[in-house]
Amino acid sequence: MFWTGVVEQARDARVWAAVRAAAAQEHAAISVRHAVLAAERLLSGTGAGLSMSRDSGPREPVLATGPPLIEELEELQFTLGQGPCGESVIAGGPILVPDLAEPEATGRWPVFAPAVVERGVRGMFTFPVALGAAMVGVLSVYRAVPGPLTGGEINDGLALADIVLGLALDSRGGVAPDLDALLDIAIVSRRAEVHQAAGALAAQLGVSVADALARLRAHAYLSGRRVSDVAADIMAGLLRLTFDGEDPRPPEGKEEG
Amino acid sequence: MIAPDRRVREIFIELTDTLVVDFDIIEFLDRLAGRCAEVLDVTACGILLVDHNGRLNLVAASTEQARLLELSQLQNSEGPCLDAFHTGRPVLRADLTDGEGRWPRFSAAAVEAGFTAVHALPMRLRSETLGAVNLFSATAGPLAPDTVELGQALADAATIGIVHQRALARQEIVAEQLQSALNSRIVIEQAKGFLTHRLGVSVEDAFAALRDYARSRNRKLTEVAADVIEGRVDLSAD
Repeated sequence: MFWTGVVEQARDARVWAAVRAAAAQEHAAISVRHAVLAAERLLSGTGAGLSMSRDSGPREPVLATGPPLIEELEELQFTLGQGPCGESVIAGGPILVPDLAEPEATGRWPVFAPAVVERGVRGMFTFPVALGAAMVGVLSVYRAVPGPLTGGEINDGLALADIVLGLALDSRGGVAPDLDALLDIAIVSRRAEVHQAAGALAAQLGVSVADALARLRAHAYLSGRRVSDVAADIMAGLLRLTFDGEDPRPPEGKEEG
Repeated sequence: MIAPDRRVREIFIELTDTLVVDFDIIEFLDRLAGRCAEVLDVTACGILLVDHNGRLNLVAASTEQARLLELSQLQNSEGPCLDAFHTGRPVLRADLTDGEGRWPRFSAAAVEAGFTAVHALPMRLRSETLGAVNLFSATAGPLAPDTVELGQALADAATIGIVHQRALARQEIVAEQLQSALNSRIVIEQAKGFLTHRLGVSVEDAFAALRDYARSRNRKLTEVAADVIEGRVDLSAD
């Protein structure tokens, strides 16, 4: 049975086509901005926003697409300390609000929800840009028309959040990844040893898990290996990474390169 | 031999008790996996959830994970969980060595890991399947119909745990909780890795240290894991 693989590949292709189209329109290399634009388009949003924490600092709004009110709404959540973005961080999962005019939403965000509705926005859908404790931001899509996302749209949103994560980590790691390297983020997310290696590396280097993950990915990219293989070597004690490079004396029996 | 009714009743009461308070989903699923192995009289039990890429992820297990991990990964190409996930029906294989030739790679790996019979029960919510409960036996033999029924009831309990008891949960809530559960598992794996370095122990011992700390202080496993990574909790001080 290969049904799962086919659906997965079709989604990847479609999501990537949207990111690439957004970059092509601006005659620019693919960046985080194009993933946000693709989220707006694929999820039929009025606009989309991204808040991120730079260098493990506090999260702040970094960009918004669509009309200026989207940027206002991104900012407003920080001013008020209220809204779906912050809850996405705590929950470690998406927060999907089909209609902010519903009493449930007003009860949850008494000031923010009415402020959104007042600006003509009804639906809001947030996706954490994260891999476990490596929480680097939140991707949000705003919709003028109330109503739930389809299952496919939810998965597209999650896939785009993965792409933003890949782009953000690789920019921290100082590498410019190609498509395959970026797709790797989706694949590593089900590999326990990658998460274990990121944790071990964070402890060893005294850095955040996000930075450890960036380091892991940069090493994999520069040595032309898969992230999961590098992670397995780290956990087996066959490879030791330092913050700036590799240990000059790799353990016996293992040649890196 | 299957567990007596009294024990089964105790287990459902225990699981229900866990669900009413603010609970940790991974801890709940780990416990449920352990109870499944016990009352269904199988050697090991793993719980797999599907992610947004349509991939099955092992999120909880009754025993040390290493053996079950590889067998779970393999099932993204073939195996009982993949079949149970796609059909929404239980998939029962009493003897992997009977020469039927279904799932050749998975079967070979399962037999090598010491398992002869493997079954999968779907975790269904209305028309959706969220994952599967995977049962492994060291000895060949079919599951009795009432054992399958009991197993399915436990698989349903796992589903209910994920949607936080809300059997009528909207699709949004299911997606939110499912992702949150998958993410919790990742945080725990990261904390395990962190502790292997900090305490200089194996992955299994790191997990035991994490679990013992959470239990002895009556705290959620996922929260303790996050605290360990952020340096708010230092297990080496214990």
